[in-house]
Amino acid sequence: MSVKTTAAPCLLALAVLFGTAACGGGTPAAERSGNGPRPPAGEAARGGTLAILSNQDFSHLDPTRNWTMPEMDFGLRYLYRSLVTYKAEPGPASLQIVPDLATTVGEMSDGGRTWTFTLKEGLKYEDGSPIVAADVKYNVERSFAPELPGGPNYARLVLAGGEKYRGPYRDGSLKSIETPDEKTIVFHLDRPVAEFPYYATLPTFAPVPRARDTKAQYDNRVFSSGPYKIDTYDRGRQLVLSRNEHWDPATDPVRKALPDRVVVKQGLRQSVIVDRLIADQGEDRTAVTYADVNGESFAKILTNPKVRARFHNEIRGCTDTLAMNTAKAPFDNPKFRLALQYAIDKEAYQTVKGGPASGTVATAYLPPSLSGGVPQDTLKIPPTGDVAKAKALIAESGVATPVKVTLSASTGDKGAATAIQESLKRVGVETEISTFDPSVYYDTIGDTARFDGLALYGWCQDYPSGSSFIPMLFDGRTITDKGNSGNVSLFRDRETMDRIDGIRAMTDLKAADRAWVDLDAAIMRKTPMIPLLWLRKPLLTGSKVGGAFGHLIWSGQFDYATLGVGK
Amino acid sequence: MTRYLLRRLAAVAGVLLVICAVTFAVFYVLPSDPAAHACGKTCTPEQVALVRTQMGLDRPVYEQFGGYVAGIFTGRTLGDGPAALECSVPCFGYSYQNALPVWDLLTDRLPVSVSLALGAAVLWLAGGLAVGLVAALRRGTTLDRSLMAATLASASAPVYFTAMMLLLVLVQRLEWLPYPDYRPISEGPAAWAGNLLLPWMTLASLYAAMYARLTRASMIETMAEPYIRTARAKGLYERTVVTKHGLRSALTPIVTIFGMDLGGLLAGAVITEHVFGLPGVGQLTYDAIFKADQPVVLGVTLLAAFFITLANLGVDLVYAVIDPRVRYA
Repeated sequence: MSVKTTAAPCLLALAVLFGTAACGGGTPAAERSGNGPRPPAGEAARGGTLAILSNQDFSHLDPTRNWTMPEMDFGLRYLYRSLVTYKAEPGPASLQIVPDLATTVGEMSDGGRTWTFTLKEGLKYEDGSPIVAADVKYNVERSFAPELPGGPNYARLVLAGGEKYRGPYRDGSLKSIETPDEKTIVFHLDRPVAEFPYYATLPTFAPVPRARDTKAQYDNRVFSSGPYKIDTYDRGRQLVLSRNEHWDPATDPVRKALPDRVVVKQGLRQSVIVDRLIADQGEDRTAVTYADVNGESFAKILTNPKVRARFHNEIRGCTDTLAMNTAKAPFDNPKFRLALQYAIDKEAYQTVKGGPASGTVATAYLPPSLSGGVPQDTLKIPPTGDVAKAKALIAESGVATPVKVTLSASTGDKGAATAIQESLKRVGVETEISTFDPSVYYDTIGDTARFDGLALYGWCQDYPSGSSFIPMLFDGRTITDKGNSGNVSLFRDRETMDRIDGIRAMTDLKAADRAWVDLDAAIMRKTPMIPLLWLRKPLLTGSKVGGAFGHLIWSGQFDYATLGVGK
Repeated sequence: MTRYLLRRLAAVAGVLLVICAVTFAVFYVLPSDPAAHACGKTCTPEQVALVRTQMGLDRPVYEQFGGYVAGIFTGRTLGDGPAALECSVPCFGYSYQNALPVWDLLTDRLPVSVSLALGAAVLWLAGGLAVGLVAALRRGTTLDRSLMAATLASASAPVYFTAMMLLLVLVQRLEWLPYPDYRPISEGPAAWAGNLLLPWMTLASLYAAMYARLTRASMIETMAEPYIRTARAKGLYERTVVTKHGLRSALTPIVTIFGMDLGGLLAGAVITEHVFGLPGVGQLTYDAIFKADQPVVLGVTLLAAFFITLANLGVDLVYAVIDPRVRYA
């Protein structure tokens, strides 16, 4: 899912403590904080049991409904295969797509309106039955069913006839997906989509045989097309995977499938998980964290070289932002909004969020993974802000100060909201902070009648293209009165929308990538949102885990394709 | 005895029905749209409408409640057409977020909470009664004052503090115990008990302190009764006076409290289970509240009410055994 989940609050004192530790030696800053791509850690061999310690249950393992980055990573690497997937390599190489079930990454025709995929030979499910193209078609059709909510909606957005189709249970087959034989699947789109192969990496494009479909209950027992199958799944307690003996590694150059068993232990307390992995005793030596290491533990990890060697914090492909309601005063004034870009002290925000190990100060909406690995910086504002320039812009805008505004944040982000409040006070903008429980926060700011003023918000890429970022955040046509997601700043700008349409129509993906970066810069000058932080994913492994690295696509989560247990 | 038991069982059923009605009203009627809560945050309006129909929210409230209660005894089919969901007997509702009937979730988690509650109860009863008894019999001595000071400190410490301290000392520093990782008793009693020892100690330290103070007060009061003096005057051994006449009578109020405490814990020790990551009913409750999974919260509430009323019934039956003055009326 693209909306960033709310991070746990970090204690300022410990963040400062971490900062002190990071300033202690002569090592470069990035290395000290553990930042930056790194090669897979440790030796991993075939066999053994890998434990994944988690503080939560999976939302959805049903490939139709799976739309959070770590869960997509888990599902796609262990339980099911999509038509296309990402390389299992650290760093920018992980952004490259390669064939998975299909023999190629897709063949385009009809000017990008038709995409054809051919399945490999020898593909089998966990019972040895063959994987056929009709099963991929069936799962894509399931993604339209209102009975199965929560999954990626890309197929719904582009497949011809998709706007009225209500899934296979009610409306039978979708005519715009053809399977002329068992190996071939053809998608007919309602407009040219050059980046359709990226869509085909999503679990929506994994196979589900009709005979095995248990509708909503499929979440609890997925029928495997990947290297592992589900042995037991007690929701919220434990998921145990064992090898799918019918998975043929000859058909799958991506997944190493090293452990014999994978055990996901759920419902543990996150601080206890981290303490266990720091202690590194017994079975915990072959365990990894599933959720983020809590900010309070950074000091314990980064000051201990042995533990720090097992610490990973890859960049997530997510951007923390400050959204402004551009439909209401004073944020309907573009010059006033631009002034706030200069007023914000992003370093203070970063410190509250846990310091450099938690994220890098953001200078554009697109994370570096979507701008060729190079961070963009259109306005060149110092990380601590430029108060004089901000005051001058406010004077030009005609907005009289002091001006009172509200700032919405989830309860866990109260400290971060306070950092924003302090920044804005410097230029005569007085903010009143309203906090909401995480369970209702996105509903609240997604209700256009209730959202007022400012809000802390975040977005993550679904695939390595600006099209999974810019249109979601800034296309005014996506705004809904309730449940509004993405464009919460209610930004309706004709020029931006025209440029979005123009880029989407491009068939040259490299040119499209450059165009997204240019559009990002143009929107920065109009400032419907203020980028704050490019987040990182802090994770920890036991000492006998090998092949660990954060995958750039799946928000820095460990790539489960390569994780293994050392001897 | 049989009539008494039947009368009490009828009362238990009545209490459960009232609790069911109240919690149903709280969770299903008061919120603006329970279907949106049940469906989750990413549901579209069409999907929320579908869940609303499945939950029967488009029907009158009395019909919804009747359907819920009837479902416990007969099972239910939620919704119709391709979206229909089967919820077999006893149907305590359906968790749309877990895609499972609430009863399945409860029965899956119950062994953990029962293991936790029973083990802790043994520890706190043994520890609390022993300390309370010694303190009462050594009333006014340094030992009495020391024991009472220790129990006061133990009872004052929040459960999460005690849990964190025990983890720090016994697991991290001394490495005497493993990090708790629940193992069913079927995997071996040693693994089961070894992994539960820390949670047992955490809960027992709180309850044992309270039971020690209660036992002491009750024993002091009982030992001052005229019949104790009579027993001594008859020349009975002091041990017989204390155990047969004193302790037995002093246990009556303790049994009452024990029934309530055990009943409550059987339905989940939320904080202890959360701190130690034990996948019991308490952890299920914590997750359900966090995710606004109301059918599960309702199911857990009813389970807790069931255990507490049942424990009360058990206590009333035990009264007559430990105190001959009590008779079934």
